[in-house]
Amino acid sequence: MSHLRMGEAHRRITEYLNRFYDGVSSQDGASLRELLSLSSNSNYLLSVADALDTFQDANRLIDNFSDFLGPLFRSLHSLRLNNLLDSYTNFEKAANAFIQEFRNWEWTWALDPLFVIVYQLRVLAERADRELASNGKSPEKLKAAGSFLMKVFGVLAGKGPKRVGALYVTCQLFKIYFKLGTVHLCRSVIRSIETAKIFDFEEFPEGDKVTYMYYTGRLEVFNENFPAADHKLSNALMHCNPCSEANIRMILKYLIPVKLSIGILPNDWLLKKYNLVEYRNVVQALRKGDLRLLRHALQEHEHQLLRSGVYLVLEKLELQVYQRLFKKIYIIQKQRDPTKAHQMKLEVIVKALTWLEMDMDVDEVECIVSILIYKNLVKGYFAHKSKVVVLSKQDPFPKLNGKPVNS
Amino acid sequence: MASEAKTASEDVKMDLFEDDDEFEDFEINQEWEDKEEGNEVTQQWEDDWDDDDVNDDFSLQLRREIENSTEKN
Repeated sequence: MSHLRMGEAHRRITEYLNRFYDGVSSQDGASLRELLSLSSNSNYLLSVADALDTFQDANRLIDNFSDFLGPLFRSLHSLRLNNLLDSYTNFEKAANAFIQEFRNWEWTWALDPLFVIVYQLRVLAERADRELASNGKSPEKLKAAGSFLMKVFGVLAGKGPKRVGALYVTCQLFKIYFKLGTVHLCRSVIRSIETAKIFDFEEFPEGDKVTYMYYTGRLEVFNENFPAADHKLSNALMHCNPCSEANIRMILKYLIPVKLSIGILPNDWLLKKYNLVEYRNVVQALRKGDLRLLRHALQEHEHQLLRSGVYLVLEKLELQVYQRLFKKIYIIQKQRDPTKAHQMKLEVIVKALTWLEMDMDVDEVECIVSILIYKNLVKGYFAHKSKVVVLSKQDPFPKLNGKPVNS
Repeated sequence: MASEAKTASEDVKMDLFEDDDEFEDFEINQEWEDKEEGNEVTQQWEDDWDDDDVNDDFSLQLRREIENSTEKN
């Protein structure tokens, strides 16, 4: 840390304060952004932090908003000293004071600085938790930040023009809950956003809507509500900033399993462009009816698929792969002898499965076929004595047509 | 909530506060051109892939396997 003369330190702190007061009095929310983005490590803020280190009695220079600026300075100073827990604690105090002021301000100009504070609070909490964990203590600040943001949400979610900011806070809350693994807490904010009659969802800012659709889409994937997941993630994909490739990739990571489960395949270009190689063999397995390939693809990427929570979604594709395999057997039989194509011997299926390294006897195959019939992936009935499936002459292998497999 | 959600959240806890797929923050008030037809990525899907073609390698081998079996019967 550079050593400053007292006079220079004094000058920097006064300048910061003047910029802050000017921003508030001219209601210029954007100009406050840089002043509050503590974690940005901007040269400007670093120079102010150094000044605070030299000039220890900065509180003396604050003549207004001291409940906010006092803790904010302490937070900035602690951050510079890499004392992350202190930095968070003071930032939360500052945020609390800001909210008190914010309640009294009528217009929405202060949403910009509020968003910065909300974002900083989350990021500083994550850092504080890492520090706590590395000292063997229980990380609890991100959880505390979540509670604080619920309070902010409450301030915004009522009537009035400030409501336009509620979705930004919601999205930051989602990030916290997903990180902490407490996604059930999303429910009450979602209810509040979706049941509000006083505010049209479309009026929220574009970026917040996309983020909201991404997270609520992921929740629908966990709930195995595939039509809803498809709707939300497709909406996120459609409106996402085309330049934001990382976000597009994340949307696709969840949308692809959803689309597969309703019988829609991504083309290879998409998988290559967004480097989603873990799905390539799964898609190939569906195209071919190759049960062995599906199994291998799931094994190969098991760890990452479990982490993102889509493993079980992909595992259920097995029934569709069976359907595809049976259809191929049917077509091959038809080419050989069209009159007998509708009678499929279970023995033939056993043979195909043995080739695919699946050791099943006739009874087990009968069981699988019954499941497919029950799920409307095969239309037909059994002739038990002759161990044959008699396939319907009309549409024996119904397509899903964008609907999930019957459960 | 289904068991998947539970599995997912347990994973998160196990790795002490990680979500691999945290959406990147857009800049506040960032705007972009929202095309009516959406991104090109929205048009890369096939719902009519389930053709009757059985001339790929997999199908040819499948044919050999099952035709062997019918001959034996």
